[in-house]
Amino acid sequence: MSEIRFEAVTKSFPRGGSAFTAIDGVDFHVRDKEFISVVGPSGCGKTTLMRMVAGLETPSSGAVRVEGVVVRGPGPDRAVVFQQFALFPWKTVRENIVFGMRSKRASRAERDAAVARYLKLMKMEGTEDSYPHQLSGGMQQRVAIARSYALDPGVLLMDEPFGALDAQTRTIMQEELVRLSRVNPRTVVFITHSVEEAVYLADRVVVMGRNPGRIREVIDVAPVREAENWTDAAIDDVMEMPSFTHLRGQVWRLLREEMGDDK
Amino acid sequence: MTRPLWPYSLAGLILFFGLWQGAVSAGLVSALVLPSPLEVIARIWEMSTRPFAGFLLQEHLLSSFLRFLGGFALAALIGVPVGLMMGRFRLFEEIFTPLFESYRYVAPLAWVPFAALWFGTGIGGPIMVIFTGAFAPCVVNAYRGASMVEQHLIEAAQTHGAGEFRIAREVLLPGALPSIVAGLRVAAGLGWQSLIGAELIVVSSGIGYVMVQGQSNLSPPTVMAAMVMIGLVGLAIDYALRFAETRVTAKWGAA
Amino acid sequence: MRLQAYGKRIQCVRGGKFVLQAARGQAAWGRAAFDRRTTIGIATIASLIVLWFLLTSATGIVDPNRFPSPPQFVAALVQIATTGYAGGTLIEQVLQSLRLVASGFAVAVAVGVPLGFAMGYDRRIEAFVNPVFLLLRPIPPLAWIPLAIVWLGLSDASKILVIFVAAFVPSVINTFTGVRNVDRTLIEAGRVHGANRRRMIGEVYLPGALPMIFTGLRLSLQASWTTLVAAELVGAFLGLGRVLSTAYRDINTAMILVAMVTIAIAGALSTMLLAAVERRAIRWRAP
Repeated sequence: MSEIRFEAVTKSFPRGGSAFTAIDGVDFHVRDKEFISVVGPSGCGKTTLMRMVAGLETPSSGAVRVEGVVVRGPGPDRAVVFQQFALFPWKTVRENIVFGMRSKRASRAERDAAVARYLKLMKMEGTEDSYPHQLSGGMQQRVAIARSYALDPGVLLMDEPFGALDAQTRTIMQEELVRLSRVNPRTVVFITHSVEEAVYLADRVVVMGRNPGRIREVIDVAPVREAENWTDAAIDDVMEMPSFTHLRGQVWRLLREEMGDDK
Repeated sequence: MTRPLWPYSLAGLILFFGLWQGAVSAGLVSALVLPSPLEVIARIWEMSTRPFAGFLLQEHLLSSFLRFLGGFALAALIGVPVGLMMGRFRLFEEIFTPLFESYRYVAPLAWVPFAALWFGTGIGGPIMVIFTGAFAPCVVNAYRGASMVEQHLIEAAQTHGAGEFRIAREVLLPGALPSIVAGLRVAAGLGWQSLIGAELIVVSSGIGYVMVQGQSNLSPPTVMAAMVMIGLVGLAIDYALRFAETRVTAKWGAA
Repeated sequence: MRLQAYGKRIQCVRGGKFVLQAARGQAAWGRAAFDRRTTIGIATIASLIVLWFLLTSATGIVDPNRFPSPPQFVAALVQIATTGYAGGTLIEQVLQSLRLVASGFAVAVAVGVPLGFAMGYDRRIEAFVNPVFLLLRPIPPLAWIPLAIVWLGLSDASKILVIFVAAFVPSVINTFTGVRNVDRTLIEAGRVHGANRRRMIGEVYLPGALPMIFTGLRLSLQASWTTLVAAELVGAFLGLGRVLSTAYRDINTAMILVAMVTIAIAGALSTMLLAAVERRAIRWRAP
């Protein structure tokens, strides 16, 4: 059961003598195998929230629990996909994919099988021995996603993974991610700037507010998706469905209220 | 909370000076081989109040420093324009590159014999050795700086009627300046060190000569006193240029 | 995106030629451009040799006691290669110098790279070593020559010591910088994918720092040659610097030039060897 619990999580950073509160009292429960998108204006602490699950930051107070255990550092039960891909430029596609598996002492056969399986799934057969710089941005991010899936983690954390890709590649990647989560369901926390992406991918969308960073509202998408059968339709068609545009509008309004502080 | 790191720094310094002073005090090494830190400081004081090898310590330093200024200025005045022209004119770059590449592999100190034969061992020879040490970074960085000046800025100047001289002065030079100043810092370090080398080999005055005298008198305190002073002057030169660098970078952006 | 920026940064470190091409946006080295370059290069060197001949042998404008003529140069080369000069034949002199450079460089790298790595990896080690390092660094390596002679005489050991001092600093600094500048995201990627300390060092920090480590080695090698020449000029029984100082005393300009050219060629060849090792070690780098 890979569930995540945020229990009164607060995070502050020292900034110029005083403390800056990035996250203030977040209580939230991510269910096992649930896909959560997190949207919010920049500076709302969504990345910090994800990094605390990854174990790359520790809460100033409160706790993050994964499978009931308090997170104290990074662990192979939680893999991260970074916005900048973070592939090791000195490792080939194959070596990058098996990087995490080797930490878990996977056998040679298991590793070969995983490389073959994920490259097939990503339609990237034949690139095993390429170096990252020989691949396009979209292909690099596919490899990074494969690296995280190959680790077989209960929880997948994605920090704006498609943010550095061009619009077309981004759409293709979104569809592929939906396909991948269907054959290989995980507990996913997906940080994004894009409202469309958040609504299209997630079971629930968490809208965050800032000053200080907190959860503003949680919008349930899963029932609508199942009722309208989004998963079997093409992404462009989904985005024109009234059910989709309605939800998107709802998220947008919340975000606009949050950004209103700027004016 | 991250722990403060200064205790480690303090420990390092204490260990260094402690081992040094301790080894001497305990008689582990003869004071004839390694003087204690205090002896070195005492020797610096002594040499700056009583002449050694004909002059006071500060006079030796001053004569070395003036030579350095001469060679360094010459290297900058010739090297920077050459580098800028390499960045501006392709043919010039193509002609000069093979010459420069072959020159670069000759260790600066290998010029000492020719420098002494051509310009003597008084002023001219040492200046030429400093020049050979400092020339390469001046050229390389001016060239790099000029190549990184965006082509459209040069084109903008051309279409607004600027001639080559104005392009050089108003576009290339300011654009390349951060890189040039960074190169001057490297050049100064190499030039200063080349001068010390030249003074060790052929010149009979200056701070390098003080070291030669200390060496033949088998006087480590004298040698080490000179080393400390060479280090301090080198540091002062570097600080002056670093100051210039931060000023230029603040005004025109990073190199 | 970050990876591409990473490649660019390496190119900048690698010297002017690369940067120029990047800046002008020329599509690599077009074949025509390469041929033009080579042609102009050969023409330049050829005209220089002709000019040399004209100023010396042909007209006698330049005094042979100032600069030798081409025939004098060849004669000196033949002399040192066959009968020898300043205590040995050319090959003996070269091997002696090469041995000293190799020893000093090897020791400096063997100590400097691990030290720089440790300083980059652990801030406590950096804090411990840095103040002493900063204290000793302003002293130019050549200023150690007299002290080395007082301590160790005119032996090989005294020269290796000075070469060590010269080559040590760039190895430490560049390795340190390389480790400190390893992309933070890659470090986090290693950690979240469960790498232990040994794998982090071997598979993340070391390859990440390798380009800078090689930059350091190149600078170290250059410093080794400079220092060797100076140390041998100050006092030696054999070696290229000894050839230089003997030729200077004899006012044998032809032999001075032979020694200088030999030093340049030896320096260039060892640099090329290092570059070949670098290319093999860093095959993953974007072109």
